[in-house]
Amino acid sequence: MVWLNIVLNRLVWLVPTLLGLLAIVFVLSRVVPIDPARLAAGDNASPEQVAAVRHSLGFDRPLPEQFLRYVAAVARGDFGTSLFTQQPIADDLAARLPATLELTLVAIVLAAAIGIPLGVVCGLRRNSWLDHVLRVVTVSGLAVASFWFAMQLQFLFSMKLAWLPLSGQIEGFPPEHVTGLMIVDALLTGDTEALRSAVRHIVLPAITLALPAAATVVRFTRNGVIGVISSPSVAYQTAMGYPRRLIVWKYVLRMAVTATVTQLGLIFGILLAGAVVVETVFDWPGIGAYAVRSILQSDYNAIMGFTLWAGAIFVAVNLLVDLLQAAIDPRGAR
Amino acid sequence: MLRRFARDRAAMLGAVLIGLLVLAAVFAPWLAPHPEDVWQFHTPRRLLPPGPGGLFGTDRMGGDVFSRILFGARITLSLSVIAVGSAVLIGVPVGLVAGYFRGWFSDLLMRFAEIFLAVPQIVLAIAIAQTLGPSIQNVILALSITYWPFWARLVYAETRSLRNEVFIESAVALGASPLRVMVLHVLPNIASPIIVRTSIGMGATILTAATLGFLGLGAPPPTPEWGRMIAESREYLPDAWWYALAPGMAIFLTVLGFNLLGDGLRDILDPRTRRSAGQGGGGGGGGGGGDE
Amino acid sequence: MSDILTVADLTLGFRTEAGPARVLDRVRLSVRPGEIVGLVGESGCGKTTLARAILGTLPAEATQVGGGRIELAGSDMLGPGGGRGVRGRAVTFIPQDPFASFNPLFRIGTQIMDLMRWNSPRRDPAVRTGWYSPARRRADRAAAIAMLEAVQLPQPARILRKYPHELSGGQRQRVMIAMALLPEPRLVIADEPTTALDVTVQAQILGLLRRLAVDRGVAVLFTTHDLGAAWEICDRVVVMYAGQTAEIAPREGFFAAPRHPYTHLLLRSLPEEGRDPVGIPGSVPSPLRPPPGCRFHPRCPRASQVCTEQAPPLLGEGHLTACHHPVGGALGDTLDG
Ligand SMILES: Nc1ncnc2c1ncn2[C@@H]1O[C@H](COP(=O)(O)OP(=O)(O)O)[C@@H](O)[C@H]1O
Ligand code: SF4
Ligand SMILES: [Mg+2]
Repeated sequence: MVWLNIVLNRLVWLVPTLLGLLAIVFVLSRVVPIDPARLAAGDNASPEQVAAVRHSLGFDRPLPEQFLRYVAAVARGDFGTSLFTQQPIADDLAARLPATLELTLVAIVLAAAIGIPLGVVCGLRRNSWLDHVLRVVTVSGLAVASFWFAMQLQFLFSMKLAWLPLSGQIEGFPPEHVTGLMIVDALLTGDTEALRSAVRHIVLPAITLALPAAATVVRFTRNGVIGVISSPSVAYQTAMGYPRRLIVWKYVLRMAVTATVTQLGLIFGILLAGAVVVETVFDWPGIGAYAVRSILQSDYNAIMGFTLWAGAIFVAVNLLVDLLQAAIDPRGAR
Repeated sequence: MLRRFARDRAAMLGAVLIGLLVLAAVFAPWLAPHPEDVWQFHTPRRLLPPGPGGLFGTDRMGGDVFSRILFGARITLSLSVIAVGSAVLIGVPVGLVAGYFRGWFSDLLMRFAEIFLAVPQIVLAIAIAQTLGPSIQNVILALSITYWPFWARLVYAETRSLRNEVFIESAVALGASPLRVMVLHVLPNIASPIIVRTSIGMGATILTAATLGFLGLGAPPPTPEWGRMIAESREYLPDAWWYALAPGMAIFLTVLGFNLLGDGLRDILDPRTRRSAGQGGGGGGGGGGGDE
Repeated sequence: MSDILTVADLTLGFRTEAGPARVLDRVRLSVRPGEIVGLVGESGCGKTTLARAILGTLPAEATQVGGGRIELAGSDMLGPGGGRGVRGRAVTFIPQDPFASFNPLFRIGTQIMDLMRWNSPRRDPAVRTGWYSPARRRADRAAAIAMLEAVQLPQPARILRKYPHELSGGQRQRVMIAMALLPEPRLVIADEPTTALDVTVQAQILGLLRRLAVDRGVAVLFTTHDLGAAWEICDRVVVMYAGQTAEIAPREGFFAAPRHPYTHLLLRSLPEEGRDPVGIPGSVPSPLRPPPGCRFHPRCPRASQVCTEQAPPLLGEGHLTACHHPVGGALGDTLDG
């Protein structure tokens, strides 16, 4: 019941949100000073050739008609063709999805594994030196430009120390395709060579991506713990002689994590935005780098496809967060 | 209140950092040892490490990085102030109107605002900036279009929760016009969260602007934009290690300044989210509270 | 028989941003085994602070103990590690707010069984680890169900599976009473246990608390700002004003022949047939700036010079009063003398 409500609530708004998003990007992409037909036809095409391309791509029709045609095509699962890769956008995105997924997952795990314990400790020892140090670190983590941080990591660990590769996702042959996630595939097929390479490649981008997310997790968890630790329920348990460690690591932690989960949508937004830049700097063959390249090349079909994809992912993540919240908080989504 | 702020060392540091940024921007022509380096090339002096020739070394054109950083402060500051200012000017009225009135129009406004929040801001900004073509004005436009929904959403929520307060309803009952109630009664009462959000929004906007510059979507060269300077330095790594160091630190310190200031302002302006409540706060909330 | 709880001349306060808050001033109080003592005072006079001091749960970093002694079941609660091993065993607690005092994310049963795991009377004191033998768990669970029945909760096994928000306020407070009695303590501290509840439920809960405590021979220290509630269930009453003990008396003597002017005024403020309640003018002073001498003197109709200079000592046998000019006779005596 509750679950169904949550799902329906989100889904009802999915379509209008995505349509609105498409409309905005569409309008933007059609006021471009650059002529997409000229781009598609190539540099030394004659005016007639350009006109022919324009006609075949439908760019000579009125804007509303173009938009409706586009929406109708999308509804059929056809996102159009990339002007540059000459591949269907859907295929391009699908091919790059696993790389982004792998990077994001590793970054989320990293951010949670570092952020939650640190946040708990800071909340418990509020105003201790550790709390102050970590406050500086987290505020700083949110102030660093990720492309610059990435470059500094590359400079130190790849160029100077030569411990880790500079960019890319893997060296040599990728593991046999099972799930598309390199590390998982390498593990499944027992390809130690590929595993080693994949892990070494993911370290720097994952750290760059995880930094602002981890900083956010620390802050939310810390504030959650502080809120809970001074709550009447903890005062009651203390007065009733529950052991301190039980109170903290069972009751308080659960409350603080619940509070952090409600912010997961925000954290995921940070990661998605970060992926765009991080993938570009590290030449990571994912959707973020693809988006930047499409935008820089005015590959408008790809831009629309990516925007749609990002919007859908966002809605899906928020739906997931709602469901997760309903699952871990017995009071449910009221 | 000011004393409380002065005791918050982190917030003071933030204020100092922003003060330095403003000083650098205003007095760049006088502070810079080589103001002409913003436009001129000195190829013989290119890629010199930091030393007597220049505090932060020189760039690929032989320009003094320190001088260019100072002039970059002008770009960063004016760009972010105008972009955030426009975003506030769009977002606050939209949020006020949508929060004050109820009905389909309010819903529509907020749904429209939420569309912009459904994709990462950086993606939207890149798309808009690229569409409009590389120039500072277009970066500002892109950032304003991208960021206004943040203020709209905040102001909407705050206005909604104020709407049923007695003092607002009594103002309405006394016959004050909606505009008057919004401007004279609602706005002053939600100023604190707007100010806090604006300080933190400055930081976010500067980061996004730098990213646009880094991707080549900002002002064309040789504009001394910090993000662009970092992008330029990439091909000279690892040899010219100093090249990206100074602009990166400049971005970092500026954003840090606005974030620290925002945190500090939140503490003094918005008691609901006070970061370090007084020492009695915890105990009082645990046992002493709720007797009324 | 020796007292189970002794509070002797306890002076205690908090460091605050506005300076020291001197909340408790030479408070005296005792509870004998099996006795129900009411601690009465207006809101803000320090009842909760005293209750938390006795339990040893005041925020350590902000609390300043100025002097005095708290002895609970033979252990010194102000000493190092004060109260550990006593809290939740020899002394238990019923909070004021049954809504916020449960953790909302865990089932009632989980929270009760975690209490029993560490504090059940069947635990082996020699075992310091969290080892919970299945046999003891079964026994503890049976005891919990029996106790939920004793507090008149229907279908106790189902209550255990519920989350706190699925119970009403009255039901939650019944669970709290059950939890307070389960460790078989010698003293229960109940801090305004019915203030947050509906008036109709209040009397039931109080009656229940008294009956269960008397049946089991458990002493209760019960704080309230409601003299009516004290009259209902207490054997002895302690009146506190602005952190100072004003009067200590057995129930009958207290209500029939109060001696402290504050008590008088409190009783007069009770609604009664044929008389309008009379409020006490003024309000409880802030502990940041307590009046010197007797803290009641700015509101006291009998106050004289000496009251503003010297705090009155607590004098008497059985019925004790801290006042330079106590009221001699019955209610309605010359208060303004
Ligand atoms: N942790 C604390 N820090 C500062 N002042 C406190 C703290 N706890 C309680 N007080 C103050 O002590 C006084 C007594 O509070 P309390 O014990 O809750 O009274 P009661 O329970 O009788 O209503 C109040 O003035 C309250 O503000
Ligand atoms: S008469 Fe004096 S000592 Fe007695 S209560 Fe009044 S002020 Fe206090
Ligand atoms: Mg109280």
